[in-house]
Amino acid sequence: MTSQKKKVLLAPLDPVHDIGLKMIKRGLELAGHDAILLPPDYSPEEIIKAAIDNNVDVILISRTLGYRVAEILGSFIDLAEASGLRERVKIGIGGMAIKPELAAELGFDAGFGPGTTVEEAIAFVEGREYIEKDRGARKTKKDITEKYDYTFKNKRIEKLLNTIADEIIEYVKGKTTPGIERAKIREKMFESDDEAELRQLRKEYAAFCDDIVKAYYANGALKEKTRQLTSEELKALKSYLEKVKTKMKPLNLQHIDTNPVVFIQYGTGCPFMDIAHIKTCEAWGADGVVHFDPSWGARTEGFYEGFITHEEDGSVITYENLKLIKDALMPSTLWQVRAHRGLNTPETVLLAGKVGADLTKINIAYGSLGGGTDPERLTVDAVAAIKYAAKFKMPFDVVTNEELCGVPAHKAFAGMLIVTVLGLKLGARPILQPLFCYSPEVMINGQMKDNYIDFNAAKIIALKRIINAPIWCGAPIGFLTQTEDRVQSSLSTALHASLASSLEVDGISIASADEAYSGGPISAAARVDTLRATQSAFRFFGHAKIIPTENSEVWASQIVEGIERTLESVVKNGSFVDALYKGLLGSREEGAYPGRAGRGTVIKNI
Amino acid sequence: MSKALEKVMDAVDIETFLVCDSEEEARKISMQMMNELGFCNASIVFIQYLGPGARVRVRGYIYKPGERYNWFYDENNSQ
Repeated sequence: MTSQKKKVLLAPLDPVHDIGLKMIKRGLELAGHDAILLPPDYSPEEIIKAAIDNNVDVILISRTLGYRVAEILGSFIDLAEASGLRERVKIGIGGMAIKPELAAELGFDAGFGPGTTVEEAIAFVEGREYIEKDRGARKTKKDITEKYDYTFKNKRIEKLLNTIADEIIEYVKGKTTPGIERAKIREKMFESDDEAELRQLRKEYAAFCDDIVKAYYANGALKEKTRQLTSEELKALKSYLEKVKTKMKPLNLQHIDTNPVVFIQYGTGCPFMDIAHIKTCEAWGADGVVHFDPSWGARTEGFYEGFITHEEDGSVITYENLKLIKDALMPSTLWQVRAHRGLNTPETVLLAGKVGADLTKINIAYGSLGGGTDPERLTVDAVAAIKYAAKFKMPFDVVTNEELCGVPAHKAFAGMLIVTVLGLKLGARPILQPLFCYSPEVMINGQMKDNYIDFNAAKIIALKRIINAPIWCGAPIGFLTQTEDRVQSSLSTALHASLASSLEVDGISIASADEAYSGGPISAAARVDTLRATQSAFRFFGHAKIIPTENSEVWASQIVEGIERTLESVVKNGSFVDALYKGLLGSREEGAYPGRAGRGTVIKNI
Repeated sequence: MSKALEKVMDAVDIETFLVCDSEEEARKISMQMMNELGFCNASIVFIQYLGPGARVRVRGYIYKPGERYNWFYDENNSQ
């Protein structure tokens, strides 16, 4: 107890009890005060008499009903005045019908509206100022790889993966690409502050770029629907952020320690709108944010420089744009810059690492079978990118989006595990990213005919049987189960979040409540919807679990067997890159097409 | 644009139930409603017609990415 012991009368000025008064009574008693709770439906006269008889120091009245509220409370205060009680007793009023302005107007010492905490009421009783705990300060950045040692439980699969990963490392020796060369030049640019040298390096950089980027380095020209942000806009951003940062009191989505961290994905095209959405999501409890770049960016050799806005989906990657976003984040927010597909993979990881990203995303199999990049090019680039990830101690997730093309989960997982082991061999910290989705595979084969639980659970069970590694379900969870309806979409996200939590995964990426709508950009309000839904779901389940049917175990075994079979076929084939072209990790019939961007650009014998 | 709408971060969703005889009619009413409310750039996000009418979610974008967002500019700092 921090103050003198008080005697407090708690009285519901209502025909029914207010649960709030019962909670306050308990809080006061725990704080060492005496609390007397009157039954409901006492008249103002009876309450005043009880206060005099018990010689109390404080009266706390509650009023839930709005009917005649001002009149009843006014008469209560008049009686308190007339009885002489008002001069020596503090009187507070709270409840659903109370607004602080009304309480002050009627002459109460305090008014507590909906949402008042027990701590606030105790502070009033003890006559001290209530200081709300700084919610933001309690949030800390979580390393989701921290507790994993990557031990293989399935030794057969481990052996196959080691063989394939060693072959990849051998394959890329003596090879380079325009993407790797640009990253090397960019590294030199970071180290130089000599203008003449920088000019020369930009020329060298441009030589490895597509014409559209060369034009920028030659005369500052940008592609259509992109433009440089103005100094006035940048000044306004500074001002906006200064103001918003002082107001941030972020919510926590997690109800228990084992609830996964929650990521949202941004990429409106405009760094300012991105930042506005990020701050909104941080406030509503998002733990992490994922940067989405434009699809044309992945298929273009080279990056622009400067602060650039884009009128369509995907936010342009430049060092300056990433820096703007990084500087806007709360210290606790995990930040991922994706580099999983495209022709700028090594440089993306380099820029992300230089700016201070926490995470990146790399997957050769998805990027080359579903992301449009040539398998050989991406294999060579990915090894360089993973080395940067290791250098910057930046874990990367290995996403399995080729499932959305139609590749069966076991083949997508085989590709994911290959890149995982490659990552481990190169000193990085990979994160498994199975999808929680209604994939073409299950649509055709019927594994989700009864429910969305079993097959998703089977994926997690299978992976946990193979390796002790972090799992981050993506991306976003519930993909292809959400519609354009706000309620259905939010509910589906929340249920998938609950399933992920029940399966004890480490992270999830969630959709907005308008993710399925393709007619325009995602709105901030739709982001809040799914964050609120996820928070409610975590609160609802707590430590309780979702119990899959026995199908999940059967399908988990089938997935493990399928992974093993796939890896055996890759080993037998002798070359991982060739296996990608041949469709061993996802065939054309299954919807996987080896990408063509960057084909023939690998430079050999260096 | 009204002063209040300037404070919308990006889009306004109007969700309601329309009494109508078909989805097509609901679409027409939705767009007419948005037009009458002053949203010239409206689109239907969600629509489901059953029995007595249609549940709709209609959106009017106030700002699209890359535009000048009036809420972004501090009053003391803007032009």
